[in-house]
Amino acid sequence: MASEESIAVGEWYQPNSSRSIPARLREDGDGLAVAAGDSILAMAVWEKIEVSPRVGSIPRRLTFPDGSVFETRDNDGIDVWLRQHKGVRTGFIHGLEAFRPRLVAFAVAVILFAGLIYRFAVPALVEVAVLVTPSFVPEMIGSGVLASLDRTVLSPSHLPEEKKQAIEAGFERLAAVSEGGKGGYKLEFRDGGPIGPNAFALPDGSLIVTDDLVKLADGDQEMVLSVLGHEIGHVEHQHSLRQLYRSAGIVGLTLLIAGDVGSAVQDILTQGGAILALSYSRDAEAEADRRSVEIMRAAGYDATALARFFTRLEAVTGDHSETSMLSTHPGTPARRQDVIDYAHELESRTPAK
Amino acid sequence: MALVDTPSMAAERFERASFNGSATEYFGIWIVNILLTILTLGIYSAWAKVRRKRYFYGNTVLLDRAFEYHAKGSQIFIGRLIVIGALVVINVLGVIHPLFSLVSWLAIVIGLPWLIRRSLRFNARVTSYRNVRFDFVGSTGGAFVAVTLGGMVAFLSLGFLAPLASRWLWRYMLNNLRYGDRAFSVNLRLGALYRAWLLPALMFVLGGIIFVALFMLVSPQVGGAVTGLNVVMSFFPFLLLLVYGLIGLVYRTGVRNVALSAALLDGRHELLSDIPRLQYAWIIISNVLVTILTCGLMRPWAAVRTARFTNEHTGIRTHGDLGEIFSEIEASGSAISAEYIDMEGFDFGF
Repeated sequence: MASEESIAVGEWYQPNSSRSIPARLREDGDGLAVAAGDSILAMAVWEKIEVSPRVGSIPRRLTFPDGSVFETRDNDGIDVWLRQHKGVRTGFIHGLEAFRPRLVAFAVAVILFAGLIYRFAVPALVEVAVLVTPSFVPEMIGSGVLASLDRTVLSPSHLPEEKKQAIEAGFERLAAVSEGGKGGYKLEFRDGGPIGPNAFALPDGSLIVTDDLVKLADGDQEMVLSVLGHEIGHVEHQHSLRQLYRSAGIVGLTLLIAGDVGSAVQDILTQGGAILALSYSRDAEAEADRRSVEIMRAAGYDATALARFFTRLEAVTGDHSETSMLSTHPGTPARRQDVIDYAHELESRTPAK
Repeated sequence: MALVDTPSMAAERFERASFNGSATEYFGIWIVNILLTILTLGIYSAWAKVRRKRYFYGNTVLLDRAFEYHAKGSQIFIGRLIVIGALVVINVLGVIHPLFSLVSWLAIVIGLPWLIRRSLRFNARVTSYRNVRFDFVGSTGGAFVAVTLGGMVAFLSLGFLAPLASRWLWRYMLNNLRYGDRAFSVNLRLGALYRAWLLPALMFVLGGIIFVALFMLVSPQVGGAVTGLNVVMSFFPFLLLLVYGLIGLVYRTGVRNVALSAALLDGRHELLSDIPRLQYAWIIISNVLVTILTCGLMRPWAAVRTARFTNEHTGIRTHGDLGEIFSEIEASGSAISAEYIDMEGFDFGF
């Protein structure tokens, strides 16, 4: 009898037990039966048997209604029988996964999709996230970051009081013409210690200037103000929040889509993402540079003061580098030229009164 | 079959696990998983995870039998929906009043041990070997001691008490693990854990000295100025991250060796783990490099390579017959299905 032919050989497990018996699966009237020698161990109509989906060549499990399990490595035997006798096309996904030339097309499609997601989906998600972010979040981030910086690298400023007041007065003129207005920003003087001449903006509108930066300007107050204008630009465009969401979004999507990237890559992604979240992109820097020019001009200061700052910076640091692919910041000479060009452009559009 | 049908040998038998999967086979599964995840806007990722897990469990073979992963895509999908839903609710409440979000985040931090315990139990219960499910019977309080308290102790002691924390963690994970009606037990000696701690601690100190020296060497040249600082700042954290990630890896591998090798199943069958730490570190580093250099396309190869290496350095020494083992889980039937919710992000692997 043809139905006595065995479909696959494997092992049969009693329900909930580790005890197994070598057995074979064969057709039995309307369904399937597991047999060892002459005795039938389990049988059921086909609809009542749960067949585990095929993944690679791992063992296949057929669970019978009584809870007993037939396990076999003969995946093909099972699939052939199902197809021939039941017309069931099992393993559609498994068919896709087979190592065939079309996987190359899949890989190309995945790379294309990844590019599209990076280019369009991530920026869109960032915009949505920025929109729904309640206002207290930037405040919490701002005060938290400043507090931890104060505990670690920053110490109270040693600048003379009159110097601070002079910068403060100029800064108020800048703030008055910016989007945030006078109340939108808070200027903080700090001794930067190891971080040297620097200024940075926190999402809540706090701007921190280090003593070394003021000293680098060497009495040229417009130079300091132009840097503050640049930082106001970062705050206005919410660059730090955007960057935070951007790196979080990229890391999150990578982990979701790639599934398992390995614990080492996962660590690098999450930790590296956190580090990258602290630095602005090249576009953000250019945007802030232009905003500095606009604000300085509107407040009645020299619009190209930022270019002077870059010149000074080049002289001190010896950075004459061209913009490189790897750096997040454009080279200083390129930025200086862009500032001068943009100032001229504004000038030719609407000559200052 | 040998285990069941031949008369029980009083003699001991030692066997290592093996991994039967191949990089080419897994590549297909992996790339289709990614493609379908993108095409379904992320929904398929839950089912993708099941296929991936089943592939790795099903190819992990010990004493001629493979493991099996039983979670359903729908369970994981629902679990993820709950997590996303909770996050949305927290954020909406946060908009209404900032205090809400503070309270909910506090609740999450306090609720962490509960989540960890559930995750451990879920992962144990969806794993079977020879038709018998694993189970995890640890309590939330135990998770609090093992993870929260242990983490704090290790952190506050600057790593000097890390072996103590590791002892709590592995005791919690292994002493509460069940295979059917049999229990795992572990007798962890602090001395052995400190021996595993010595090498990474030495690497930590040495790494610190090299970094300080390197920093001294670089910083005068850039004058600590704005742009120079950016170069240094974007370069050092990554290197620091890599080196200290590596040290963590060496430590965890050493602890795994000690802990698994001190564990018994059913009071007599000895587990064994003897992963060579530096060789393993090399495998992980080269995997990362190859994965990055090939834009991720060699990730399946790297995953299979890691699994093979880990499995081949894990084994069991059975003393006498394992005997017939009964599943405790299946007996309780669908009543436990409510517990079958995967808490994403808290996947603890054994």
